[in-house]
Amino acid sequence: MATTPEQPSDSPAAEAPGRGLFEEIYEAQVVPIYRFIYARVGNAPDAEDLTAQVFMRAVEQLDTTRDMGQIVSWLYRVGQNAIADYWRAFYRLPVIGTDQVGAGWEPADTSERSGPEASRERSGAGEDRARKQVDSLLRRLPANYRRVLELRFIQRLSVAETADEMGITRGNAKVLQYRALRKAALVGEAADG
Amino acid sequence: MADERDLAERFDHYLDALINGGRPSPDDVGNPDEAGMARTAAELAAAASVAQSGAPAADPDPAFVEQLRLRMRQADQAIASVQVSLPVRGARPPAPAEPAGQLTRIRVSRRGLLQAGIGAAAGLAAGALGIAALRPQSRSRTLLGGDSPLIKGPGFWQAVAPLANVPPGGALRFTTASFAGYVVNDNGEVRTLSSVCTHMGCTLYYRPDWKDLRCPCHGASFDLNGQLANGRDRWKQTGGYNGDASAYPVSLPDLARPTVMVRDGQIYVWTAQI
Repeated sequence: MATTPEQPSDSPAAEAPGRGLFEEIYEAQVVPIYRFIYARVGNAPDAEDLTAQVFMRAVEQLDTTRDMGQIVSWLYRVGQNAIADYWRAFYRLPVIGTDQVGAGWEPADTSERSGPEASRERSGAGEDRARKQVDSLLRRLPANYRRVLELRFIQRLSVAETADEMGITRGNAKVLQYRALRKAALVGEAADG
Repeated sequence: MADERDLAERFDHYLDALINGGRPSPDDVGNPDEAGMARTAAELAAAASVAQSGAPAADPDPAFVEQLRLRMRQADQAIASVQVSLPVRGARPPAPAEPAGQLTRIRVSRRGLLQAGIGAAAGLAAGALGIAALRPQSRSRTLLGGDSPLIKGPGFWQAVAPLANVPPGGALRFTTASFAGYVVNDNGEVRTLSSVCTHMGCTLYYRPDWKDLRCPCHGASFDLNGQLANGRDRWKQTGGYNGDASAYPVSLPDLARPTVMVRDGQIYVWTAQI
């Protein structure tokens, strides 16, 4: 009943075809998927958690007979949904949304490109691109807002250090960074259209 | 404005966690505006850390990549190796053991049984069909978990496996006419637990290393008492759960646990007749 001699469950020979492919997909995709997620949640613990969700879901649901392009776009779609669910928790709505992830092989939304090319683009062309992104956001803010965010995010100073640097109280530094981010969120929204 | 000061004070907790590379908490984000700010801050932090590091991108910790690979392999094997034993009516049900004598005396209303039947059917269907089948969630929630008449109602002992097939630390999935579950040998103590996640009815898989039943859909882990082991409350007490990166975000009812008995090297599960 549990394991019959003919079917040793842990022998590689007993694995279904396509299972080996599965690890190949993991090897190829774990880093890009992680980068994709990290760029949107901004911290490693959550990025790891969501990356794990994507691949654990893949273990259960991924159809390894699909071609690589479809598999990759499936992974990104699951990743996108995981990110959406993550942010939903911050909006105090139910965190778990399964309805968006269906069987999910329908062609991806054309407005959101999928596939290996898009994934390269999504994961960013690296340092320069990230710097440009930050610069373009910060450039659109008033000088003191820009300054407080630079000190906090780029120089990674504490609130106390930031306050000292700017010659203001800690309380004011907190309020300033709060307003700066509120403004940045509006600016970012406007930019996204 | 004092109000804004308070908001800014709280939001700084979010930012501190984020900027220090920790896990920020949704509790520090109080309204939709702040959620948008949190998101902007997260993207800013991500881009800034990449720009800062000089590395081409934020790469995952190799230890994490390795750990996830192992978790996946384990889950993959668990899924591949699950074998459902057909319900075998014990040819000669053993003389009712003591618990059975007690249990059969419990009076169960017809309505209760009917509801249990609906719950079981919903659970089984959901387990088979995956996620799509689960609309009436609040209803199935109460019915799927805990001690329903499905567990305690009148019925019979059904043989599910020889004890020898479930060595210490091992588990075996079984089905009876009314129930799908696992028999787990917890170092000599044989337990039975439903294999149906009380969230949405996905089929749980057993992880011998963690001694839990894990849901492949959203990562709920149930301990061998059938209780959610990686929920927020438990997480707070224990400071984490077996390598999970975050707590399970909602609380869930316990898994149903049918009564189990070992006799003459055979495992029997109490099977309510519904």
